Amino acid sequence: MTTPTRSATSSTRPTPPSKWPHTIGLLVSLAVVILAVWLVDANWIRLADLPASIGNYIVLMGQGLTHNPLEVPWSEYWVLATQRMLESIQMAWIGTLIGAVLSLPLGFLAARTVSPAGVVFVTRQFLNAVRALPEIILAIVLIMPIFGLGPLTGALALGIGSIGTLGKLTAEAIESIDPGPVEAALAAGARPVQRMRWAILPQALPEIVAFWLYRFEINIRASAVLGVIGAGGIGSLLSQLFNRREWEQIGITLVVIIAVTILVDSISGAVRARIISGGGRKLAARERHDEASAIV
Amino acid sequence: MIRFSDVSVRYPTGTLGLDSIDLEIPDGQFVVVVGLSGAGKSTLVRTINGLVPVTSGTLEVGDRMVSGAGKRKLRQLRAEVGMIFQSFNLVTRTSVMNNVLLGRLHATSTLRSLVGAWKASDVELAFEALERVGIVDKAYVRASQLSGGQQQRVAIARVLAQEPQVILADEPVASLDPPTANQVMRDLQRINRELGITTVVNLHFLDLARTYGERIIGMRGGKVVFDGTADQADDAVFESIYGRSLTAADVLPGDEEPAVSTDEGLAP
Amino acid sequence: MTSTAAPTRGPAASARPRKPAPSWALWTGIIAATAITIWSALGIEFTLAPLFTDAARGWFVIQEFFAPNWGFIFQVGNAWLETLSIAVLASLVGCLLGLIAAMLASKVTLANPVAHQVVKWVLSVIRSIPDIGWAFLMVAFVGVGSLAGILALVMFNIGIIAKLTSESIDAVDPGPIEAADASGANSFQRARWAVYPQVLPNFLSYSLYVFELNIRASIVIGLAGAGGIGNVLLVQLGRFAWENVSAIFIATFVVVLAVDLASQAIRRRIA
Ligand SMILES: Nc1ncnc2c1ncn2[C@@H]1O[C@H](COP(=O)(O)OP(=O)(O)O)[C@@H](O)[C@H]1O
Ligand SMILES: [Mg+2]
Repeated sequence: MTTPTRSATSSTRPTPPSKWPHTIGLLVSLAVVILAVWLVDANWIRLADLPASIGNYIVLMGQGLTHNPLEVPWSEYWVLATQRMLESIQMAWIGTLIGAVLSLPLGFLAARTVSPAGVVFVTRQFLNAVRALPEIILAIVLIMPIFGLGPLTGALALGIGSIGTLGKLTAEAIESIDPGPVEAALAAGARPVQRMRWAILPQALPEIVAFWLYRFEINIRASAVLGVIGAGGIGSLLSQLFNRREWEQIGITLVVIIAVTILVDSISGAVRARIISGGGRKLAARERHDEASAIV
Repeated sequence: MIRFSDVSVRYPTGTLGLDSIDLEIPDGQFVVVVGLSGAGKSTLVRTINGLVPVTSGTLEVGDRMVSGAGKRKLRQLRAEVGMIFQSFNLVTRTSVMNNVLLGRLHATSTLRSLVGAWKASDVELAFEALERVGIVDKAYVRASQLSGGQQQRVAIARVLAQEPQVILADEPVASLDPPTANQVMRDLQRINRELGITTVVNLHFLDLARTYGERIIGMRGGKVVFDGTADQADDAVFESIYGRSLTAADVLPGDEEPAVSTDEGLAP
Repeated sequence: MTSTAAPTRGPAASARPRKPAPSWALWTGIIAATAITIWSALGIEFTLAPLFTDAARGWFVIQEFFAPNWGFIFQVGNAWLETLSIAVLASLVGCLLGLIAAMLASKVTLANPVAHQVVKWVLSVIRSIPDIGWAFLMVAFVGVGSLAGILALVMFNIGIIAKLTSESIDAVDPGPIEAADASGANSFQRARWAVYPQVLPNFLSYSLYVFELNIRASIVIGLAGAGGIGNVLLVQLGRFAWENVSAIFIATFVVVLAVDLASQAIRRRIA
């Protein structure tokens, strides 16, 4: 190649932008990972056994599924797993409902476009604090001492645990509505509560309800953890079965968990899609992506 | 009667939105405000219902003092002053009826409005308002399913349901195509004539201003630079308001009285 | 305005429509939600009565909580480092595997419809098993300890990352993909140069989110014997040592909040 011909008019070639921030970020991440490998007291050798042991246990669990599910005791195992899974769903539903009812007003208080700055700040700090606490800690500290052990305690813990995320998402949904109708209601002499009810809520409610359903899906999984400390549901059953190493029954229970969870997720997902699109149209990829980004 | 006495508006950013305005608008008049973008048209209109607070001078609407009014007084004022916006400002996710009923909120108790227990007389008013703009058949359709022209007519119905003494419109036709723009302007004119509601409309198209304005107010730099009838407002006047010679972009293309209606919702 | 003034559009305007009944979809939704609520409330024997009758019983434990054993926070410093290390390693491995799974689960990057449907199904199964379930399984597979914790969280992360990222991939701008196709790229090149740059910021943001989740989850999986602070918590709970449990909770709160703040700061810079 010879020299470029239009040197007169075009400026000099730019130097590539500095890669330093990028490089530093990478080096720091690498250091953190190395430190973690060095600190963690993991028995890496066991990793070599993993494939063989997975194979063994899958065969053991699979045997539970080969028995006729209509015969005692196998029929009882299927029924028990289903009952406990339904109990988990009940816990998650009531928990989500409690979270929804409590987080709606908190969402309005945390929305910058609705509430004064001081109120927004205090509410947001409270929501962050709730978000930081795992449900299990809420259950042990706040609820178990009063309500004892059982699914009610689980539901209350899930409910309070949901407030943080739901409140934040509700506030964001409220902040992102079209402000025009709110101004129109203001110009028509509507009071603040009336503006919330007729100009803000109709715009934000579909997103908010979709977040409730999404939280319900998460709470079903979270209820399993609470079961381990004795809140009932599928978690309690899993914990007992793994302690007794009842592999065949564990296999049956896992199949029930997977089937019921996938079923509930797909129903809830379809309902969410319909709510957001206002009926008819299928949820577009772009909207699903926006929803995912909002949740994160 | 709307009376501006030496009214100035300075925004928190320091911009002078209105510069010592003195103006009287008698009851029932149809006033068109023209001027370049940034001239202060929106500011003028929005001071009338207190959306923009007056920083000096006094402004009266009827027997109400707007300048210095508290929240409660402002709400009472806004109940009597309806407003129409460039972008319609409808709640598109709910029905046309619910949007029109928004205009009745000022006369509805908080409790009733929370549960949506509208008084039968308010629903009747909303229906009459929809009939007056000719889209009563869309009453229970979602607002999002209407065309731009239909949405603006719902917004007019929302204002009518308020039973206002004054209607303010901030560039109500700027988002509409020319034939629809003319129809919406004719609707506003007809309502002004039939019901005698004082109407103040911001426009930036000259021909619409001349066609519909009973009185034209020209603004520039926050001041009133012209105040007269449509006949007096010839091209020379507009050039002085605009501070430059006129171009095709200042005139709305298309007929003033289109023979064929492109918007099926309106009766000819 | 007087309501007696007759509208001029009399004959042309059509008659007033009747208020339509709510749509069947809305009715179904309301009835279903009510039914599920009643069924659930009966099922878990919902009541708020203990709040009034048993508040005193709770008060004792809560008092204990107000006197945390501060020294204990530092005694178990090692367990904390263990928990953080588990979270870091699991996030790294889980997110990388999740990214690959996401590429395989999207129509955009994997043209074969059967293959990507299969990947989607496998991912649904992985996602439907809760984190504590994975912890129990991994403890059984490789024994008690941190390795089980890492493996459990890896599975948990693959599910989340693959779902979120594949949704981002589905939503990418098709322009660059067409451009890559037009210039004769093969499907790997297309994924690398037309899709990956578009989803990278989202992917990094999701990874940090998963890391935040992992801090919380690593406490949870410790309950199943998978190492870290969760193990310590289990022991102290068993001994009813509330002052120590309380100390762990305060430390958890501080650590989680610190990690969340740091990760949100980084995420804002990426986005
Ligand atoms: N909310 C506001 N804050 C600060 N300045 C504003 C605000 N609204 C309008 N202005 C300024 O006031 C002047 C008049 O604006 P406006 O009344 O909107 O003009 P018009 O409606 O004629 O285009 C402009 O210079 C504009 O930038
Ligand atoms: Mg304007």
